[in-house]
Amino acid sequence: MDPVVSETHCFHCGSLVPKGVSFAVNAGGTSRPVCCAGCAAAANLILAQGLGRYYEFREAPSTPPAAARNWSIFDREAALRRYTHERTGGERDASLQIEGLHCVACAWLIENSLLRERGVTQIHVNPGTARAEVRFDPRLINFSRVLAHIQAVGFVPLPLSFSGGSDADAAERRAALKRLAVAGFGMMQLMTYAVSLYAGLMQGIAPELQQFLRFVSLIVATPVVLYSAQPFFVSAWRSVRSGMLGMDVPVALSIAAAYLWSVSSTLRGHGAVYFDSAVMFTFFLLLGRYIEMSLRHRSGLQHDALARLLPQSVLRLGGNQAERVTPDELRPGERVRLLPGERVPADGEIESGATEVDESLLTGESAPRLRGPGDALIAGTLNLSNVVEMSVTRMGQDSTLAAISRLLARAHSSRPRVADVADRVAAWFVVAVLLLAAGLALYWWQQDPARAFPTALAVLVVTCPCALSLATPVALAAATTRLARTGLLVARGRALERLASADCILFDKTGTLTRGEPRLEEVNLLDGRLSRERCLALAAALESHSGHPLARAFSHLTPAPNVSEVCCAAGSGVEGRIDGMRYRIGRREYVLQLCAAGGPLPSAADDNSHTDVALGDTVGLLAVFRLRDALRGDARETLRQLQGLGLKAHIASGDSEGAVAAVTAQLGEVGASSHMTADAKLALVQALQREGHRVVMVGDGVNDAPVLAAADVSLAIASGTDLAQVNADVVLLGDGLGALVCAVGTSRHMLRIIRQNLAWAVLYNATAVPLAASGWLEPWMAALGMSASSLLVVANAMRLVARPARRRAPAPPDFVGPVHA
Amino acid sequence: MNSIYLLIPLGLLLLALSVWAFFWAVGADQFDDLDSPGVQILLDDDRTPPDGQVDGSRDA
Repeated sequence: MDPVVSETHCFHCGSLVPKGVSFAVNAGGTSRPVCCAGCAAAANLILAQGLGRYYEFREAPSTPPAAARNWSIFDREAALRRYTHERTGGERDASLQIEGLHCVACAWLIENSLLRERGVTQIHVNPGTARAEVRFDPRLINFSRVLAHIQAVGFVPLPLSFSGGSDADAAERRAALKRLAVAGFGMMQLMTYAVSLYAGLMQGIAPELQQFLRFVSLIVATPVVLYSAQPFFVSAWRSVRSGMLGMDVPVALSIAAAYLWSVSSTLRGHGAVYFDSAVMFTFFLLLGRYIEMSLRHRSGLQHDALARLLPQSVLRLGGNQAERVTPDELRPGERVRLLPGERVPADGEIESGATEVDESLLTGESAPRLRGPGDALIAGTLNLSNVVEMSVTRMGQDSTLAAISRLLARAHSSRPRVADVADRVAAWFVVAVLLLAAGLALYWWQQDPARAFPTALAVLVVTCPCALSLATPVALAAATTRLARTGLLVARGRALERLASADCILFDKTGTLTRGEPRLEEVNLLDGRLSRERCLALAAALESHSGHPLARAFSHLTPAPNVSEVCCAAGSGVEGRIDGMRYRIGRREYVLQLCAAGGPLPSAADDNSHTDVALGDTVGLLAVFRLRDALRGDARETLRQLQGLGLKAHIASGDSEGAVAAVTAQLGEVGASSHMTADAKLALVQALQREGHRVVMVGDGVNDAPVLAAADVSLAIASGTDLAQVNADVVLLGDGLGALVCAVGTSRHMLRIIRQNLAWAVLYNATAVPLAASGWLEPWMAALGMSASSLLVVANAMRLVARPARRRAPAPPDFVGPVHA
Repeated sequence: MNSIYLLIPLGLLLLALSVWAFFWAVGADQFDDLDSPGVQILLDDDRTPPDGQVDGSRDA
């Protein structure tokens, strides 16, 4: 029953269906192939619920479902109190962060699927922030079932503890929207009065009517100045107090001066009014700020990276009973039992047992370390082989992991030196503007006192660095929007500027050019005694007890039941008893030791590009599974196009020469270094930077986090590790690399637009300031000119969004290289 | 000309009303998610799921 040899892609997750695996789902009457039991389960559930439309509307293939997890720990009273909030009437509210949520269809799927569970009364999933707010009745449905259901349809929920004020973003956005609305409505209304007043100045107007219109203007302008413009006053006051004059000082000054002068004119009954200028000015500035803020919030990646690296639950030993608790509940001095495959929940010391630990998170070294009694364990590292008991010394915010992520965060916040320079220049600019305005007022006071205030005000308004300050954020926002459509999330907008001028691109191999996880490519039956399905089930059952990275290749298969007497041999494989028979899986030599006689030795040997895993029983070898970390489907094409854009590509991998050579052989001309530790990669980046190159680093894992931080621009692949995501400038959401090319193209286009915008702003200021200073410009003309100039800048930036994406034909998600003959 | 003395206050009233309406909309989460509603109408199906499938979910 060999499936057709041609490449088939999974209906659910879009990845290549491995040879020898035949799962299918029934979608609307047609049978569609899926790659694994996990995908089959998720797709079946979705289709059975009548939510098959998800597949028509989703924007990208789904993330392959993670191995099912036991969520029951969240049903304990302590966890419920921590992660949910009880409402009057007994219902509970929970906030979940959802991984794998890409688009509106995903959000719709989760909402509708979950609403079909009895006891879930309300759910809203926001695709922008990947947050779900669920309300459920704990008497009808357990919290764990809500979580398990979300996982069943193919997403990973992460309960957020209720203490955190993570809604600060939402509050900020709402406040800004309200301010903007008041200023916008006010401006529209005021313009009608202002036009009447100006017409009146030219054609004549009844004095009482003029006075009436001015009073009405006063009424409309007051909330705009007092409420909408408040942030400018607050920020100006803060910058004055700190002794560093920011852009907000002349802004606040001109709004306040225009408003107060106009109020006094209105009350006195003579003199000019500038309500329109003040309000228009406020609105356009707020608009710019709002665009900038949405950009900042969009990333949605700011939440606690720490929580994701810690295990969901941990076995706490107390007295004579053991209890599963969340890592949050641990206290120093408590004892914890760690099973193989579990992450260490807190910093601590091994009390008994010895095991191999994957510390690549900290050291960048992927080779496991042996740790015995008395050795330190660090939170977030992975226990690979054996059961150990540890005592907790530090947890949560005190742990090493927390310290590292704080360090990384600081490294990032201190990076944009350009912004610092801009601020310092701005301070001088502000001083110059203020001096100029004061000097002009003084000058005109002696020449023509009536013109002194309007001139000074016109200069203040006209020099408002509005177009100047809008030029960059607006272009950034437009480019970000554009890139988001192609599956790129820009976490730090400034990075795009650097991306445009980059000339060197560094790739990590594993997880970046390749998928980063071994996939089952071929099943080779050596013995006719057992069927292919049985062999796969046996393998899945044994490997489910191993924490070894290769074991993940089997995690999507349905394991055989009745496994007992499991024992892991570090570095060799797993042995276990299934239905009375003893089986081994792992290295061929290790498996062959089970049958004294030894079986036929298959000829094929590892050639670095793939790994063979053997399965055998007491009689001999049963099957060999070929696992390969396949190249991403569009890796070759992407590299070629990037080189076409003038970027020098280089692969920096921690793997052996053979493994790297196997990859470069498929990629064509590209530089490559093997055996690179994190330090060596860092040194390479810094050396390139010293030579004057601008370096882009594309990575996946936590072990390149320091390298990512050092590069001019860092890109992370979303399927990579989570800490790296949070610390990268740009995150690739999709599974392909093709978006990289689009990112470079868009960033260069953006830079051109920023330059045009800046040139325009400078030109405008250079002509308008002398005009204003000489008294030619009325404040309203200045405000109008300023606004027109700002709008021009915005319109220019919008061209970035409008430009049709140059999409290539979608490449197959996986490219399995030519078989090494 | 006197109509202005009636119409402008009326306009102000309308202005206050629209600001209030906008504030209400912001407060009622209407601006929190601007992407979903537009697509939701395409996704939401009038057809009911096949019988017996409600609550038929299970953990994978």
